[in-house]
Amino acid sequence: MSGHSEDTVAEESKRFFTFFNLSMILVAITGLEIVIIYVQSFEGSIIIGVLFVTSILKFIGVIWWFMHLRWDKILNTILFLMGLVIALGTFFAVIFMADEHPVVEEFKVTQIENEWKSETKYKSGDYVYVNEKFYQANIDHTSDNNWTKELWNEVTGIPHLISWKIINSADLIEINSKKPENPYYYQYTPSDEESIEENRIALLEQPGSTEDFRIKVRSESYWVENN
Amino acid sequence: MSDAAAHALDHHEPVTSTGIPNKKVLMWAFLGSDCMFFGTLISTHLIYRKISATVGGNFLDIRDVFDIELTSFSTFILLASSLFMALAVSAIHKGNLNSTRWMLFGTIIFGAIFLACQVYEFTHFVHAPGNELTLSSYRGEPHVFGSTFYVLTGTHGTHVAIGVFWLIGWLVYSFTGKMSAAHAIDVECCGLYWHFVDIVWIIIFPVVYLMEYAF
Repeated sequence: MSGHSEDTVAEESKRFFTFFNLSMILVAITGLEIVIIYVQSFEGSIIIGVLFVTSILKFIGVIWWFMHLRWDKILNTILFLMGLVIALGTFFAVIFMADEHPVVEEFKVTQIENEWKSETKYKSGDYVYVNEKFYQANIDHTSDNNWTKELWNEVTGIPHLISWKIINSADLIEINSKKPENPYYYQYTPSDEESIEENRIALLEQPGSTEDFRIKVRSESYWVENN
Repeated sequence: MSDAAAHALDHHEPVTSTGIPNKKVLMWAFLGSDCMFFGTLISTHLIYRKISATVGGNFLDIRDVFDIELTSFSTFILLASSLFMALAVSAIHKGNLNSTRWMLFGTIIFGAIFLACQVYEFTHFVHAPGNELTLSSYRGEPHVFGSTFYVLTGTHGTHVAIGVFWLIGWLVYSFTGKMSAAHAIDVECCGLYWHFVDIVWIIIFPVVYLMEYAF
C-alpha cells in the first residue's frame, strides 16, 4: 500500500497506546462491576448507581476513542447523539410512565355467624342465624323476647363479610372464588383510586374462608393479586 | 488543512462538502438509528421486568437460571475484540496489511467466541432442569421475561454475527491482493459498527444481567 504520510503513521502509532490503555481501563471497570455484584454487601440503590456510572464511563470511552469521535468532525457526534437522545428519551419516558405497585395490605373473608338474640338492636340489612337458617333485617328495630320472622327476610346462601384494603392507586378490583363448587365473582371500579378500604357481603352456597378467594388489583401498569 | 481533509487526501478519497467521507457519515447515521432500535428493546425489557415481577405467585428470581460467570467472560471477550478492531483500523491507516489481517482475525475469533457463549447460554436457559426459560414461560408458568430477554439479547447476537461475517469478508478480501489504501475507510466503517455492538453490550450487561443481582 502507498500514499500514507509520515504524519498519519506517527499519529496512528500514538493511538496504539491510547487504545491499549483504554482497553485495560474498560476491563478494570467491568471487573469492578462484577466484584460489586459478587460481594453483595452494598444496598441495591448503591449498586444500581455504580453500574449506571460505570456503564456511562465505558460507553463514552468506546465512542470517544475507539470510534474516533475524539479526532473526527463534530457532525459524526451530532448524528450519533440524535439517535442516542431519542433512545434515552424513549427509555426514561417508558420507565417513568409506570405507576406505583399496588399492595393488597388486607384481604379477609369471614362467615357471618351472628346468632339472633332477644332485646338487641338490629339495623336494616343485618344478618342473623336462627334455626339453621340465615335472615336479613327488613328495618331497624329492637328484638322482642321471642323470635319472629315478621321483621326478617330469609336469605338463600351463607352470608360472608369480604373486606379489603389497598395501598397505592388502583383503577379496577376483582374478587373471585378459587373453588368452582362455591362460585363468587365481583368486579368494580373504585370511586376513589387513592384510598381503598372497603367491605361487602357475599351470599355463598358453602362456607368459605380467605384462602378460598382471590383479589386482583389493577393499576395503570400492574396487575397484582394476593396469594 | 484539517486533520480529516489530510486523512481524506492520504487515502485518495473524494472531497465532500462535509469534509467527512460519505460512507462514514452514512454509518454514523445508521448507528444513530440503531441506538433508537436498541433503546426501544432495552426499555421494553425493563418495563416488563418491573411490571411482571412475579411468576406463579412468587417473585421472579432469574438468578437461578443466569450464569453470571459465563456472561462476564463473554463481556471481557467482546471488550478485547474491540481493542483488536481499533488496532485493525489503525493498522490499515498505517498501510500495514499484515498487521491488519492479524487484528481482523483476532476480532473475528473473539466475536465467534462471544457468539458461541451466547448459543451455549440460550441452550442452557431453555433446557435448565427445573428452571426452563423459554420465549413464553419460566419454570413452566407463562411469563413475558423470556420474550423480552431473548429478543433483546438475540438481536444483539444477530448484530455480532453480521459483524463477524463482515469482518470475514474483509479478511478474505485482504488475501486477493486488491486491498489498498482506498479501503481504509471501509474497514473503519466496519470498525464503527463493531464498536457500536460493543457499546450496546456495555449497556445490556449491567441492565439485563447484573441488575438482577442488585436486590
